[in-house]
This record gives sequence, C-alpha cells and structure tokens, in this order.
Amino acid sequence: MIELQAIERRYRSDEVETTALAGIDLAIAEGEFVAIMGPSGCGKSTLLNTLGTIDRPTSGQYLFGGRDLAQLPESDLAQFRAASLGFVFQSFNLIDELTIEENVALGLAYRKDVSDRKARVAAAMDRIGIAHRARHFPHQLSGGQQQRAAIARAIVGDPKLILADEPTGNLDTANGEQVMNILTTLNDSGSTIVMVTHSPSHADMAKRRIDMLDGRIVASAMRAL
Amino acid sequence: MNGFALLSLYRSLTRHRVYAALNVGGLAIGIATIIVLGLYVRFETGFERWLPGHDKVYLVQTNVRAPDQPFSGRHHWTMGGLLEQLREDFPGIVGTRIEPVSASVMENGVAASEKLKRVDPSFFDIFALPMVAGTGRGALADPANLLVSRSIAERYFGTAEAVGQSMTVSIEGETRLLRIAGVFEDLPPSSELDFTMLSRLPDDVDSPWWRNWGSTSVQTFLRFAGPEDAARFESGTDAFVDKRALSAYGEQASKQIGINLLPIADMHLTPQGREPDSRRQTVTTLGIVGALTLLIAIVNYVNLATARAALRAREVAMRKVMGADRGALIRQFLGEAIGTAALAGLVGLALVELALPFVNAAGGLTLTLTYFGAQGVILPLALLALVIGVVAGAYPAFMLSRFPAASVLASAKAPGGGQAGTRLRQALVAAQFALAIAFMIGTGVLFAQVQHLRSADIGFDREGLLLIRSMSWAEDEAQRRAIVARMAAIPSVRSVALSDSVPGGSGTNNVDTFKKDGSPPLSMRRVAIGPEFFETYGARLLAGRFLGDEFASDDVTDREFEEPRNVVINTLLLRALGYKDPAEAIGQQVGRGAPPRTIVGVVNDMRFLSPREPIDPTYYTYYRDPRYGPLTLRFTGDPKATTDAAREAWISVAGELPFEAQTGVESLREQYAEDERAARLFAIGAGLAVLIGMVGLWGLASFNTARRVREIGIRKALGATRGDIVRLLVRQFLQPVVLANLIAWPLAWAAMRRWLAGFDDPIALSPLYFLGAGLLAALIAGLTVLGQSLRAARATPAWALRHD
Repeated sequence: MIELQAIERRYRSDEVETTALAGIDLAIAEGEFVAIMGPSGCGKSTLLNTLGTIDRPTSGQYLFGGRDLAQLPESDLAQFRAASLGFVFQSFNLIDELTIEENVALGLAYRKDVSDRKARVAAAMDRIGIAHRARHFPHQLSGGQQQRAAIARAIVGDPKLILADEPTGNLDTANGEQVMNILTTLNDSGSTIVMVTHSPSHADMAKRRIDMLDGRIVASAMRAL
Repeated sequence: MNGFALLSLYRSLTRHRVYAALNVGGLAIGIATIIVLGLYVRFETGFERWLPGHDKVYLVQTNVRAPDQPFSGRHHWTMGGLLEQLREDFPGIVGTRIEPVSASVMENGVAASEKLKRVDPSFFDIFALPMVAGTGRGALADPANLLVSRSIAERYFGTAEAVGQSMTVSIEGETRLLRIAGVFEDLPPSSELDFTMLSRLPDDVDSPWWRNWGSTSVQTFLRFAGPEDAARFESGTDAFVDKRALSAYGEQASKQIGINLLPIADMHLTPQGREPDSRRQTVTTLGIVGALTLLIAIVNYVNLATARAALRAREVAMRKVMGADRGALIRQFLGEAIGTAALAGLVGLALVELALPFVNAAGGLTLTLTYFGAQGVILPLALLALVIGVVAGAYPAFMLSRFPAASVLASAKAPGGGQAGTRLRQALVAAQFALAIAFMIGTGVLFAQVQHLRSADIGFDREGLLLIRSMSWAEDEAQRRAIVARMAAIPSVRSVALSDSVPGGSGTNNVDTFKKDGSPPLSMRRVAIGPEFFETYGARLLAGRFLGDEFASDDVTDREFEEPRNVVINTLLLRALGYKDPAEAIGQQVGRGAPPRTIVGVVNDMRFLSPREPIDPTYYTYYRDPRYGPLTLRFTGDPKATTDAAREAWISVAGELPFEAQTGVESLREQYAEDERAARLFAIGAGLAVLIGMVGLWGLASFNTARRVREIGIRKALGATRGDIVRLLVRQFLQPVVLANLIAWPLAWAAMRRWLAGFDDPIALSPLYFLGAGLLAALIAGLTVLGQSLRAARATPAWALRHD
C-alpha cells in the first residue's frame, strides 16, 4: 500500500543544516501494524509526519496506493489526509474549545463525501468506549480518556492508515495498556497502523518493528507469531 | 522598578517589535486625539475667560417672548438706550454698551476699514483690558480720545508706544481727528468682542430707533458683585419692562418682550433667537469623539497587553522558582505597563505637535499646546499614563502572579484566560467597531449634508454674484447713483440691484406683523428692493409680475408705512395666507384692513440666511432709488476680474470709503463654515478611531492566531485546506463586526437624525450610509486579519503541532 523510496528530509536554519531522514526505503502492506523505535532525534516523528503528509520530504518518492504524494499540491494533500489518514498524537491535540463529540466530528469536518455524520461520530465513540463523555470538554477528562477521544477522532472517517505518534507517552501504565488494546483491536479488524513508541513492550504488540538511528532504518523485524 | 525589570521592559518592547509598535502606536494615537480635541473643546468653552473678573460680567439679552416669529428667542443685542433707562431705574448699576459702527482709518487719502466699536466711558469698569501703553480707564471720558490695539498701533505707527499720536478716522461717515490715549493688548482668539479700536459712544443719540423696544443695535454688559446680585436684578426686570415698554407693547409688555442676563463666558456657545444650539452640540460631539477614541485606544491596549501577558505565565512561574515573591512580580508588571503607557504618552505628544498645524488649517483654528502650568498638558497626561498602566498591568500583576508555579510549568499549555477571556475580547472588539462604524456613518452624513448645503437649490443662482456691502456707507444719493452707474458700466456685469437684504445677511432685518380676521397674527419679513432685484438674483416668477418703474404705483419711496403698496410675496407667505395656487393670490391683500398690501406677484422662496434657520414668509416692496443696503452685481466670467474692476470703479467715485465686497458663494460659505469645520474635525477623529480599531483588531487577531496555531495544525492534519483555515479565522473576526453593526446603526441613526433636525433643508438619512459604513468596516476587518490568517494557513502542520 505504501512505498517510500530514498526519502530525505533536511531542515535548514540560519547556519545549521540538520538531516532528519537520510534516505529511507520502506514498504508497508495493507493491514500491517508497524512500530517505529529509536532514540530521541533519530527521525521517528519526522518519518511519521512524512507518512502523514504533514511534512514534505526534501527529496524521494512517496507512493500511496500507487500515487506519488510527494508531487501533489497542498490542497490535494489536504483532501488526501481528510479521506485516508487518521492521526493520534502523544499530547492528544484535542481542541480545548470543543466538546469531545465535536472534537470527534472534526475528523469528518473536511470530508465532503460523507453522509450520516452524527451516526458515524456516535459509532466511533461507542467503539472506543468514550460515548458517555460526549458532552464534556477535554480538560474535564483524564489523559487516558482524552487519548481515547483522539483515537475516536482518528477512526471516525474509516481511514486507510492510522498514524500514532507515541500514543501512550503521556499515559500511565493502565491507560497505556488500554490504548494499546484498542489499537490492536483496530488492527485486527483490518486497519493499517504505523506507531512511534519508546516502549519496547508496546512495540512488541505490533506485527512489525522498525528501529531507527540518525535518520536511517537500521533494523526491521516481523514479530514471531 | 530595578535595572533588571527595565531590561525586561526593553526586551519585551524590542523582541516583539511589530506588536510593541502597534500597541504603543495605537495608544499614542488615542492620546493625541484626545489632546487635540481637548484643546479644541477648551478653546471653544474658554471664551472671555481671559478677561479679569469675567465671572462678574453679564450680557443683557433681549428676549422676544412671542413664539413662532422670525425674531423669537433671546438675542445678544439690545436697544441702544437700554442702559440709560436701567441706570435711572436701578441706581448704582454698573454697565457699558458696545456699539459696532462702520469705521475706516484714512491714510494718504485711502480709507481702510477697521473694527472700531463705540463704548461708554464706564467700559473699563467692566472690561479691564490689559494695557500696553497709556491708560484705558477714564480715557474715553473725552470724545476726542481713541484707544487702539497693539497691532493697530504697530501697523500705523511702527510701535506700540503710540500714545499721543493722532489718527483720521471716519465713523459712520463722519471724519474726525482723534488722539490715541492708550494702547491695549490685542484681544485673544478666544473672544467674541472683536474690536481693534475703541471710541466714545455719544451721549445724545438722536434716533427714534435708539429707544425703540425690540430694536437691537448695541450689546449691553452689566457687572454684578456675584450671582445672587445678578439673580436679584433679573427678577426685577419684568416690572421694569412693563413700565418702560408700555408705549410700544401696551399693558403687560413683559409677556411679549423681556430682558435676561447671560454670563459673558457663555456668550460664545449660546445660540441667538431661533438658531439651533449647533455650536455647543459640535463642541460636545467632538469632545465625546475624543473621549471615545481614547477609550477605544485604552481598551485595545489593555486587551492586547493582558492577552500577551497570559503568554508570559511560564516566565512568571520561572521567576517564582528563582525566588521572586508576589510583591516583586506585581511591581514588575505594573512598572512595565506604566512605563509603556508613559512611552505612548510621549509619542502621543510628538504626534500632537506634528498634527496641530494640519488640524488648525483644517479647522480654521489657532490651537497651541502648553506643556507646563495650570493649562499644561504634562500633569494630566502623566495621570492618564498612570491610570492606563495600572489598568493594563493589573491583570498580569495580580492574576499571573497568583498561579501556582509548579502546575504552570508542568502543564503543556499556557493559561490564557480560556473561553471567558475570548468572549470578553470578542465583545471588546465588537464594542470598538461599533463606535468606529457609528463614526463612519456620522462622517458620511456630515459630509453629505455639508455638500448638500453647498449645492442645494436655494432659490437663486449663487454663482456670478458680487455683493458690495460697503454700499451701505455711501454718503448721499448722488454718490450712490454714481457708484451704481459705474458698476453697471463694467463689461462683465449683466445687472445691478440694491436691496436691504442679501445672501449671508446685511444687518437689516425688518419684520411686520399683520392681523387677519379670526386667525392669529402673521409675522413676515419685509425686504426693500430696487430696480432689477429679481432679475439680478434670477428669482422665478410663479404668478403675476415683478415690481418695477413701469408701474407707477409700485414705488413706495414717498409713501408712509400705512399707505397702500403693491408687493411681491414668496411661496411661504402664499401658503401662510392659505392659498394653494399662486394665481389665486394675485390682486389679494396681505392681511385684511390697514395697512393695505396688494399682491401683484408671487416668486419662489430664496434662502438668504443660514441653512439652519427656516426661510421666513417674506414680502418685497419696491423703491425706485433705495437709500441703504448693499449692492448686488450679476456678472459673467472670472469673479476676481469683476471684483478688481468693481474696486477700481469704487475708488474712482468713493475713494474715501473702504471697498468691501465678496462673491455670493463666499458670503454663503460663511454660513456653513462652522458645519464644514465640524465635519472635518469629526472626520479626523473618526478616521483615527477606525485606525486604532484596526490596530487593535490586528493585534488581537495576531494574538489569537498565534494561540490557535496548534489547532490549525490539528485541523490541517485532519485534512483542512488553506481556504478552510482562512475562512475559519476571518469568520471569527467578522462575527464581532456584524454584531458591531447592529449596535452602531441605531446609535448613529438617532444621533444623525438629531443633527440633521438642526437644518431647515436636511438630506434624507439613506440606508446607504449605514450599509456603506458596515461594509467598509467588514472590509477593513477582513483585510486586517486576512494577512495573518493566510500566513497561519500556509504553515506546515508538522511545525504547527510542535509549536506549543
């Protein structure tokens, strides 16, 4: 489904040039659950953002379902994200001024082809077990509940790919486990997931683990089933 | 504030330069506006306050108590002999009269007209004018003495030390050699007294008008020890009038006419007769505009300052961790805020100095800025900076310093006032845009009305008229005829006409009151005209005929007032008499019984007087050879060429008299000069209010956009396009603007309707002014936030999400 070829990403500030991704080749098939690991600054998040098209590679090819995304104009990318991707962030990134229900509905806000929004939002919240908090504001919820709301938002549009950037990083162990269970269940029911994590045990719950160092992929292993 | 806090202020100003410039600049403009308009208000309300003991001096008003007459209301003038009668009936009363007379100084055979007024010898008991040389008090006991102003002395003698010098002065056509007994300081601009020379008022004025109740030929001033004495005097005036005006007004004369006192300091802003209270309204309005502009600026400043301060919660927490106590933090924030406000005050002062020449030019004013002393601006400005600083600094000083440091540092986000803060800021934006929109509507209506006054149909063609007012001073019939003949011979002159009434007024106002059977008495103006008057003005004949020599019975030169006359009336009188069709009135009488006035023609209404006053029902009587009144020329081509030719013609026949002429357009312009000036000052105030509103909106939008960077990132990650983001942000700021329109429209409608009611011929209050101002405000707001929204929408979402 996804094919990255020789992806490079360099950041240029006034005097310093930093290389975040130094030639990434990666293929991800439909239905995979990939965990990306590595020390801070190795390029994990940049890779995830590149996959999510919220960061553009400096060079290289990004094929998604055969389409070269690296060449698409910004407006087409926005449509692509709305239709095909779901994001889960470490810091949840819920909008403070909106209720949980409204935050989840935001996952459909930029889709023009969707009908029955209310039902889909309700279904997504049900599925993640956050429906009883629909009318609450983010600050009224625990971290685990906020992250579940964020996941509901990510899946409400039935994305082809879910990108999770340290989804358990801000959670305690129990809540972290719960979130991981949700992700695994989603994967079991067919969602493709790419997750960045620092936790080896959570990485072990994925089907495939990729290790990164200094902008390169240094190891890639399938979980023994 | 210690050195470190100063550094912190400097950093906060220089690190966010644009923000600091806008914030300080906006407040500075607001401060400059209130200073300039405050100077204007102080000037307008400070008339005669320069006069030593002004609070004891009162003007005597003539109060025409009969309603709905051309002269109803209180006037600043009295009959000439009033003071003498007051002295007889109120022994010990202290007063003086001031009589304006036509006067010119002869130098080398050429006459130059000067502002000479004749006064009683007691003048200096009431008006203690500061003297430059000689003495004022007592000098006027001698009718051969003259007092002149410093500038007159310097102009004619090259020095203010002109005591003992002589001048040849022609007063009301009588030329005499007068000796300068003293030189007084020039009157300040804030004075209505308006003279440069003073001479003795004769004791024995031999004119029936001088003691005619209801006539108005002098200003009478009285001096009282205090307000109680003035009130006691005023309460006795009705009995005085009943006794003295008995022969003119019959029993209970005070029901029809009275005298009142007006403190001299109120004279400038108090309207006369039926004049609307427009001058005071203008002063009040501009004062309010200034105050509101400053209010907008302060609201903006506080809004922005507190919004930014919320972003500094982390800094506050860190300072606490480093050991700062609450007191130190409060001192730091208040110090910063007061320092910034003081800086804005200084910039505001600089702006005032830069702007005053332009404001003076636009408003025809002579405002100056005083820094120190009782009238100085420094002390109030320092107080203002202190208040603004405390208000702006209070939120960060007391709120932020109370947040527990640990939770602020641990939290991922800054405590930014949350929803309540956002609502409040939106409401403040709406409020200031409401004011700005109301100001814009006001400016539009003001200018449209002034433009309307300039171009409205006033019943005659205002272009191509030259009014020679000095014609009133011609010495005899022979000279008058010679002047008329010379003027008529100027090639560009089409016709000439004498009349006792001209556009802009002539000083002559005659009103007759006729009784009709069974209906209330009807008052109307009487205008005396000479040959070709209607032709010269281009009046439209609606029925009958004009007056002229070809009808022997038209001429009233040798007729008594009670004898029959042929008259032409205007349509207002036609309607007041109850006729619908002009033709019906021909051959009818104005009123019934004596004196007989037969209507031979009906003309359209011509507006000679202020557009703020109603046109009066008028009738015209004909003199083949009028003995007084200005001369009107109808000419073609360049006004200046005709004016020059007329001056030459004048000098060749009447060189000993000064030549005074102005075009019809110039004369009419004086009537709405004040409205024009008010419109311009209002527009300046309104423009600045809008500018400050824009600055505030820009600052707030940038703050809000910055705060929403993360949200924008999320939305983009979820697939929002740039267009979606721009729409989102712009809509957020258009909402308060829409709300602002809803607040502004009724306010502006009520205010402008009231202002327009002061005109006899107002424009319609079209919805276009409201829609136009609303759209303009929306456009301004949209453009103001569009730039930032575009930038925010362009940022890559990955960057935005890291930004916290």
